[in-house]
Amino acid sequence: MSDVKETSVTVEVVYRGIFQKTLAQRICRSIVLAARKRGHTGTAFARYGDSPERNGVPAKQFAVVAINDLELEASMAKYEPAVVDVSIAVDDTLVKGVESWAWYGRQPIWKPVRKDGFLLVTSTNTADEVLAQTDTALRPYTLVIVPGGASFAGLWVFKDDHTDYRCLGALAKVLPDWVRLEDVKALIKEQTKDESAVASAQHGYDGATLRPVKAGEGTSGHEVLQFEKPGWTTMRPGIVVDARKPGERNPQYKKYGARTLRPVVNFDTCIKCTMCWLDCPDECFEVTPEGHYEVVYQACIGCGICAQVCPVKDCIVMVDELKFEDNEDKWQFWKKDHDGYNKWFEAKSGVSANPQVRTPPARQEGSGNANPSANPTSASGGDD
Amino acid sequence: MVVQIKEREHQDVETEQLMSGCEAIAEAIRLADVDVMAAYPIRPYDGVMQAAAKLIANGKMDVEYIVADGEHSQFEIVKHACAVGSRVFVGSSGVGWFYAFEAIAVTAGLRLPVVAICGNRALDDPGAFGTEHNDSLAVRDLGWLLPWAETAQEAMDLALMAWRVGEDKRVSLPVAIGLDGAFLTHSQQIVKLPTQAAVDKFLPKFDLGDRLLHPDNPITIAPQVDQDWLMEIRMQNDQAMRKAHDVITEAHADFKKLFGRGGDSPFLDEYMTDDAEYVFFGQGTLALPMKVAIRRLRKEGHKVGLVRLKWFRPFPTQEIVKSLSRFKAVGVIDRDYSFGSPYYGGVLYNEVRSALYSLDKRPTIVGFIAGLGGREIEQPMATDIFEKTKAAAGDIKSGDICHWIGVRS
Amino acid sequence: MAVETHGTGTLPQIKGVKDVPYDELFVSGHRTCQGCESALVMRHMVKASGPRTIVLGSTGCMYVANTTYYTTPWVVPWMHTQLGASGSAALGTAAGLKVLMRKGKIKDEKINVIAFCGDGGGADMGIGAISATLTHKDYNCLVLLYDNESYANTDIQLSSQTPYGAVTTFSPSGTKKRLMHTRWKKNVPGMLAAGHPESRYIAAGCAAYAVDLMNKIRKALELGGPTFVHTLDPCPKGWDYHPQYSQELGHLAVECGIWPLYEVIDGVCNLTGPTRQIAEGRKKRKPVVEYLKRQGRFAHFADEDVEHFQHEVDKMWTEWLIPGVIPFTIAAKDQTILKIDKKALHEEKTA
Repeated sequence: MSDVKETSVTVEVVYRGIFQKTLAQRICRSIVLAARKRGHTGTAFARYGDSPERNGVPAKQFAVVAINDLELEASMAKYEPAVVDVSIAVDDTLVKGVESWAWYGRQPIWKPVRKDGFLLVTSTNTADEVLAQTDTALRPYTLVIVPGGASFAGLWVFKDDHTDYRCLGALAKVLPDWVRLEDVKALIKEQTKDESAVASAQHGYDGATLRPVKAGEGTSGHEVLQFEKPGWTTMRPGIVVDARKPGERNPQYKKYGARTLRPVVNFDTCIKCTMCWLDCPDECFEVTPEGHYEVVYQACIGCGICAQVCPVKDCIVMVDELKFEDNEDKWQFWKKDHDGYNKWFEAKSGVSANPQVRTPPARQEGSGNANPSANPTSASGGDD
Repeated sequence: MVVQIKEREHQDVETEQLMSGCEAIAEAIRLADVDVMAAYPIRPYDGVMQAAAKLIANGKMDVEYIVADGEHSQFEIVKHACAVGSRVFVGSSGVGWFYAFEAIAVTAGLRLPVVAICGNRALDDPGAFGTEHNDSLAVRDLGWLLPWAETAQEAMDLALMAWRVGEDKRVSLPVAIGLDGAFLTHSQQIVKLPTQAAVDKFLPKFDLGDRLLHPDNPITIAPQVDQDWLMEIRMQNDQAMRKAHDVITEAHADFKKLFGRGGDSPFLDEYMTDDAEYVFFGQGTLALPMKVAIRRLRKEGHKVGLVRLKWFRPFPTQEIVKSLSRFKAVGVIDRDYSFGSPYYGGVLYNEVRSALYSLDKRPTIVGFIAGLGGREIEQPMATDIFEKTKAAAGDIKSGDICHWIGVRS
Repeated sequence: MAVETHGTGTLPQIKGVKDVPYDELFVSGHRTCQGCESALVMRHMVKASGPRTIVLGSTGCMYVANTTYYTTPWVVPWMHTQLGASGSAALGTAAGLKVLMRKGKIKDEKINVIAFCGDGGGADMGIGAISATLTHKDYNCLVLLYDNESYANTDIQLSSQTPYGAVTTFSPSGTKKRLMHTRWKKNVPGMLAAGHPESRYIAAGCAAYAVDLMNKIRKALELGGPTFVHTLDPCPKGWDYHPQYSQELGHLAVECGIWPLYEVIDGVCNLTGPTRQIAEGRKKRKPVVEYLKRQGRFAHFADEDVEHFQHEVDKMWTEWLIPGVIPFTIAAKDQTILKIDKKALHEEKTA
């Protein structure tokens, strides 16, 4: 017995591959298990094309809830749903676009969301700040900010900071017919026996802020990257593709959408040691005419190795990707307008460009060390 | 010290020699100026590798001869040599062939014209050396061209055809010639060896064009794909296999002109079928005792003939339909098994029935499994096959059966 | 017997970081993890070899991730090969090029042939084919084994190269079994060096020591014949650490003595980098816990597990014939074996 108007609802979780794999899994499974409490049925699955997941590369998992098995069939044996009712992005930098593999292009975060659907984003920024980095809407939807920063972990050690519970609480706010808050709380209580976990669901529900978005709102500043796939008559026989040309970077897969952070460079303090250029697995540095190394932001995937191997303190600083609107290389800016560039560097990084000024160390991102005393959960790891 | 062969040995005249099917293939390797071959011991195919080694050691041909550490390596070695533009040769039998299965699958996927022989041998367990066709047949869906030889002469001729057809840019698919173990791999027969000049006219140089793996041609071969790409790639293979039919026809005509043999049809060898009411259908050396039986049965007044299949892949559907629709009954003799198949019939049986399914007027098609494990097909067995075929004529449903011939209970 | 090699001096040793060539033959836009050291190895590998190179890549991360869905990051010609086939791919490619050049069918010139494999495809499935290739002294090819210590592409399963006790999806840590994987890492480069005397060059390297690695690759290609290089590649996904620490973990693996850097050239063994400094007593090995505690795949380790790990690494350094390379010990009573007058063993022919 159901009082829902539709016969099924589809939720996707868009996340940073590997770092948030377990988180996405927990959210999707909980959606189905919570729905079960009121007699609905459902399925949860990862998008097979994302597998094997790669650190940072955007991936998706799905949960479909239906009033019965018959209605669920339309969502079975599928790689991914064409349309979702709700999309949950668990890292706000994902609103700058999703490029999951070659020929995929850069897709707006709201692309599969139906008209008047919901886009939930975990963020410490305001809705307007997040919207300013989201592609111009083609159809109306509601942006929902779930308070909290992006929660990153690894395959084996899960960071149990209740992000999943907050997301479920927020989901209950926008899909009350399908995901009842009381069912969510009961499920969490059952699974964890932890009142603080239950409280987090309530917190997500209470703290979620809704911002209706009209068609036309958002930014048109992101790159348009779309492809038409060839067919068998024009594809070269023998499974052959052209090699990359010398000096070229891969136009079919740019991958800058894998970034949560990007490096900014202090050219004044750079000692031209080559280490950032040498140790970058993605050859994202170009050598400048004066021997500095500048970041090619069209290619950088934000791993942070350059910042770690750079021998000069605060010469390379990793900064939240949401603080940047463009992907332009910056050395020319420094050459033409030295002081302007350094002000820009300071504003973005929060660190002084003057090496004489000591700045407190920036907040550490990522899963960091594996501390055995952090509560490892029954992290499933691996593939479904 | 590497023995350099500056010029290949030229013969001005065709010669005749007494040699086994394996040795005949070795001569084909010499005539075709193969560049790389990889060997690994397993009976009965490896007679070709032994014969080739002698030719190389005695300076009769210049081929990189690599003894691999296993069949998987063997087939991978020649696949990669082929990708850089080498004309290659390889082979195996039975479980050895199966050990190379992964390499066999990907070679077809890559559209690389590797030429191989499969010295048809029963699969383990139990181990047995006698001939069965299941080793070759196991790859029938993957995109390999699969011809079968009846004589040592035909073995050599099919090898030359294999490089010609496989390397043709319209096809570019690998070819595996089926040679019945012992009867064909080892038994010695009179074989006419063509002149080098004639072979050079028949076989153009191997040219991969813009698919050649070389620093002057920067390409990536076989990036990883997903469901958005694979079907198009499979389609290309399907198209190539369809083209193979016409390329074989063309090549067969050329072969006949140059060498004066090859039969009327590239695909079927018909024996006494003009007025036949009943025919046997099969491939490989089993045709020989069946021809003996046909002559004997004809003396008794029976109108019986044989259609021998020369190319199992591409399956010559139209030719088979045109040929077999003339008869009252067809006894398909499979030197293979396909446990659990429709009517528990062998592979050829079910393929022939499928080919003839949509005809308005169909012959009765009866299945026979014979000669497994190298068991000879003796005349009483042939008679038994004939009688069962004849008895089934006129009643389509009576073909819904597969008889195992010559089995002790 | 002389090996037909093509050493032409076109790949000189790189003097230092400023001497590293700028040309990129493995470019950005590959679907590897952030901080993937195996991708860095690929980049350095072809930087070292230059553009007259053909690369054969066996199935694994460096195949699937790099060419995911019909694309390529490779500037040099590249072809896929099967999981256990890198040895055969190297051999077949080298043999094909050699005979075509000899017969005058293609231009006779030096072309580097490099076939790479992961630890799954190389140390496990494909070890037989690699071994076979290393006996074929007449062909010039390099097999490069990039070791991220798991079958990484299939989402992290254990291989013979997975360290003792590490968590993988085939060796999770649970309430009944804390450690499901208790096999010690198989010594691949040492084993291959010991068993294939006709391979002129076998080495162990790491992208954290980039110039050392590139020079090893160049040496292998210059010496000619079949050669082998094994790199240890920290893997953020499988080892569970933040990608920014990939270089640091590579350094730690070497500085803790867990992954010795060395090369064997025509039977002569050299230790390189910090490994050499440790062997010469100029540097002390760091405790292995410094390395283990940084990675989530060891987060379940109890003290006794760390102790066992340390003990095995200690043995490698204190008991092996050549630390980190050749493991045999000689019993105390047999020490004369080490001091044999080898020339005196031969019986002279009497008239």
